[in-house]
Amino acid sequence: MTILRGLMRATALVAVTAALAGPALAKDVTISVWAGGTGPNDVYRVDSIDIAADILEREAAIRGEELNITVEKTTYPGWPDFKQALTLSAEAGNPPNIVVSGHEDIAPWAQSGLIVPVEDYVDLDAWPLSAIYPNLMEIASYSGSVYGIPQDAESRPFFFWRPSMLAIGYTDADLDALPQKVQDGAYTLANVLEDAKKMQDAGVVQPGYGFYPRPSNGPDYWQFYRSFGGTLEENGKLVFDRAAMTKFYQFFVDAVAAGVTKKNHIGMDDATWWADIGAGKAGIWHGGTWHYARYVNQEGMKDFFGNVQFSLIPAGDAQGKANTLTHPLVYLLTANKDEELVQIAADLITIASEPQINVLHAIKSAHLGISEEETTLALYSDNRWASEASQRLLPYATAMPNNANFGVYWDAMWAGLQASWTGTKTVDQAISDVETTLKSGLGDAIIIR
Amino acid sequence: MNSSRSLGLMLLTPAIVLVVLFFLVPVALTAVFSFTNMSTATGITGGAYQIGPSSMQRLGDKYGFPELAERLSQPSYVIDERGLAALESGGVDAPAITEMRTHLGEVFPTRREAERMIKGLNARPSTREVKQISEQFNRSLLDTRYESEGDLLAGLDALGVEVTPAERDAVAASSYSGWTWTTENFRRMVSTPDTLRTLINTVFYVAIVLVLFNTGYAMFLAITTYYMPETTGGIFRSIWLLPRITPPVIYVLMWKWLAWDTGFISMFLGQFGVAPKNWMLDSSTNAWVFVILINGFVGASMGMLVFSSALRAIPKSQFYASEVDGASRWQQIRYIILPQMRWPILFVTCYQTLSLLASFDLILLSTEGGPGGATEVWSLMTYHTALSNYAGNLEYGYGTALSLVLVVIGVTLSLIYLRVFNYNALVAKPLIEQ
Repeated sequence: MTILRGLMRATALVAVTAALAGPALAKDVTISVWAGGTGPNDVYRVDSIDIAADILEREAAIRGEELNITVEKTTYPGWPDFKQALTLSAEAGNPPNIVVSGHEDIAPWAQSGLIVPVEDYVDLDAWPLSAIYPNLMEIASYSGSVYGIPQDAESRPFFFWRPSMLAIGYTDADLDALPQKVQDGAYTLANVLEDAKKMQDAGVVQPGYGFYPRPSNGPDYWQFYRSFGGTLEENGKLVFDRAAMTKFYQFFVDAVAAGVTKKNHIGMDDATWWADIGAGKAGIWHGGTWHYARYVNQEGMKDFFGNVQFSLIPAGDAQGKANTLTHPLVYLLTANKDEELVQIAADLITIASEPQINVLHAIKSAHLGISEEETTLALYSDNRWASEASQRLLPYATAMPNNANFGVYWDAMWAGLQASWTGTKTVDQAISDVETTLKSGLGDAIIIR
Repeated sequence: MNSSRSLGLMLLTPAIVLVVLFFLVPVALTAVFSFTNMSTATGITGGAYQIGPSSMQRLGDKYGFPELAERLSQPSYVIDERGLAALESGGVDAPAITEMRTHLGEVFPTRREAERMIKGLNARPSTREVKQISEQFNRSLLDTRYESEGDLLAGLDALGVEVTPAERDAVAASSYSGWTWTTENFRRMVSTPDTLRTLINTVFYVAIVLVLFNTGYAMFLAITTYYMPETTGGIFRSIWLLPRITPPVIYVLMWKWLAWDTGFISMFLGQFGVAPKNWMLDSSTNAWVFVILINGFVGASMGMLVFSSALRAIPKSQFYASEVDGASRWQQIRYIILPQMRWPILFVTCYQTLSLLASFDLILLSTEGGPGGATEVWSLMTYHTALSNYAGNLEYGYGTALSLVLVVIGVTLSLIYLRVFNYNALVAKPLIEQ
């Protein structure tokens, strides 16, 4: 009886010790990740954190620790809703641990302390971060610190519907040489309007479909400002170049006047826009490298390369040059009192940046790789679109500035463009209003010339 | 008497609490915020002090201390006794400290270079330890976030930088990242060219929707359904309630289906050779017609219900008597119905004016203020400013300044309505009680 009691006691002691020791070693954390602008093709923006969590748990297990990470993933298909939700949740003290957003958000969010520099938690000299393209790391930096880890890269090409171009006299050889002509400045935006008009006159495309630009606000429009020689930022100060902005607005007004773009194009249904392009209704248009995934996966474009040629955004005139914009999304870490949680989040985004994981996103979503190594992986190098787009566009890509005042500038630019495009204001009046708006909103934080 | 007064107060308390919580406090906060430059970048709760390229640019350009700015902009990591002592008290392993001592006196121009040296120690510190160690040798203020001005100035002192009181103030002011009090929002509002057009849009929108639909058409519906047989009138009233009870997103989507390039209007007119187009955004006039119809069809239903119930309160005997006297329908409306509808008309006009001033959801969903800002109304502009920004920087301060204008307009209009409809006479005690 005594033996039995002793045995029971011993068993109870072992059980209690085990129960106490178990939780002491095991660590359960929940990491939330939110991604903006993320549709069905972009799920690896958040799924890669899942994969990274699995690896991090295994690494911890090898060190003898038990780490259980639950990843809570939230994706937003658009941008305004996402940015509103994120900023308001942060103000309420409840932001996610990891944010996937555009690099232009770094400036305001860093200033407010919403995000913390990634540099404080990771070793930038160690692989895989050391392998990321330096210009992308630069884009993810603000005020001398690296705040984000580039999650993807892309650039925004001009697209030409080959059958329509062939119908107005181009040959296959001409079309193959077109990207180089655009890059050299021999084919400009003026030629775009001419060709678009020819297509309509020949009845190849319907009126208003010759030049079929993005139907909503987006970074793309800054490319046209650059095509006419505009500068966005100089020595940390925003720049409003009146002449370049005027020519940029005038280009769209001319497109409407020539009938190749609709006056009410802005605000049209996105789905209709995609479908029209997929069906070959548009002659010339512009978009992003990731549009390839949409055309092929959702819009049923069977032979992309047989139907579409792509190039840089053509120069507007002799002052400007052909260009393209890269708008990398970045992994950002939000400020959190629990430093250990931020460290785990930092470890996760570091692992997620490994080429083998990042390439899943790059190819599935038709974005571009973040490192040279990534482009050598079979999944990437075997993909014609990723390889050609990287080669033709990425070396000429520039980015928008990381400047806390950029939002005011952007709003004013967009309001002025819409007003002149729709004929609500003349170009001169729109430019003058944008200038006054910028002066009153930003004062000496913007150089006007 | 006293007990009935306290009972009255008790009964009023919930209403008072609700009014304070949901009206007075928000209005007071709006007024307070409107005098700030609050944005996502500045944060709401308060700022910090951080020396970085942009703040040093301000110190040079705006405050006139370029040399000081240049000096503070230099990053510097120095392996010194102070840092080693901090490591000892900070719990870093002794071998690592001993090894660090061999680097005594070394200066690194950047954090990354200092961390490369630390990472190369035989003690093999982890990334986290590398960061902890490097921080102890940071002999520059650059990129350090100080929570208070005192901390920043203490950091300045610890650095050994001798500065005049004016320079100290300038460093603090230029490196402050939080919000400040300002009247700039109101100056900006007045000097921004689109403000006036938006104000005119708002007046036009509120007046037209209010007069044509929320009161005019609502009264028409109430009277016509009143004269219909009960069941038929009920069916018509139910039909007119549909726009209000349909979720706004679906309701507007139905209008879009009607107006899009591939929508019903384009398809119908296509039969007659008219080229398809986006009828809603084709011109400013088209956009306004749609905005007014979309809002009006929703707004009319409320007035219809209020007026219908008010109509039923008119004693039937008055109608019978007028019919005996040979009055026509129009005469009944003119001399019996309308004079007794002043109170509901006041209520609907007042309520709907405020409601229209503040409503923007249907415009946001349909035209988003387009084409080219033609249908941008004040509340939508406020929304765009305070709650929507492509570059992630919501301007709360300017947004609340804009909404404060709406509060002022709303209160002023309410007072004017009370005067126009002679509110005192409406709530006067009946003669029999005097």
